[in-house]
Amino acid sequence: MATLTAMFFAAQMMNYPIIGGTTAHLLGGPILAITLGPYAGLISMTIILGIQAAFFGDGGISTFGANVWNMGVVGVFIPYLVFLFAVKAAGHRRRVLAGAFFGALIGDVLAAVSAGLELGLSTLSFPYSVSIAVTAMVIHHFFIGVGEGVVTAIIIGVLLKTRPDLLQLPRIAPSWLGESPVVAVKAGGP
Amino acid sequence: MGENKGIILVGIIASMLFVAIGCAWLSLSAETLDEIAEHFGAKEFRLWSPPMADYEILGLEGNIAANIAVGVIFTLVVLGVTFAVGKYLRSSKTKA
Repeated sequence: MATLTAMFFAAQMMNYPIIGGTTAHLLGGPILAITLGPYAGLISMTIILGIQAAFFGDGGISTFGANVWNMGVVGVFIPYLVFLFAVKAAGHRRRVLAGAFFGALIGDVLAAVSAGLELGLSTLSFPYSVSIAVTAMVIHHFFIGVGEGVVTAIIIGVLLKTRPDLLQLPRIAPSWLGESPVVAVKAGGP
Repeated sequence: MGENKGIILVGIIASMLFVAIGCAWLSLSAETLDEIAEHFGAKEFRLWSPPMADYEILGLEGNIAANIAVGVIFTLVVLGVTFAVGKYLRSSKTKA
């Protein structure tokens, strides 16, 4: 948990260019969720955001709660649930990797939707409507999500091959998801 | 712990590489939210003055070596804080 948290704190210092002259960086929520479970992932993300806000003014103190909601809750739990669905649907390795990719993509986009909603509803300080704020955030974060998805799928693929025991999947799964067939994946199933 | 030593070492080395690459080549940050806020004319109002705003030490702005040092030190701080939190949570779970 500590190593992954430190790794994503460091990874968030690398900004790569995307569209419209803006930059992006990995969030890490999907990988934290799939490897640590969503609750530990949320704690990890909260520590990263807390240190960034307190020492570097990155994210900010007054928006700390919103950031934890967007990147810690939405950005961690949604990828976890999507990944869990993929694993439940089929233990096939490719589909599991697709689950990791789409989990990360959907998680990043929904986190952006959440941030856009917060901005759009902040009518006292933000003069534009929810639709403008959400659209602007979603367009950019779709590209960020694709990058995050590729990196997540690569890392989960490597872990599935080398250390599947590190993917603590179904331990805290909601009961309606039933038992995950991740065991079949570990054992080299279909 | 023993079997995870290798993975922890790889994680720490990767973190240091990320910091170095991030500070030396990929440091330009123009995040969507900042750009949108700027575009719409939003002004920054600080409630809290962070000791190292934008990951830079006061008086050493733009110094890559100083930025890397800050990144490395705080990566280790994050490692330590998370380890302590994890240990505390594990011990409180065991007690329960």
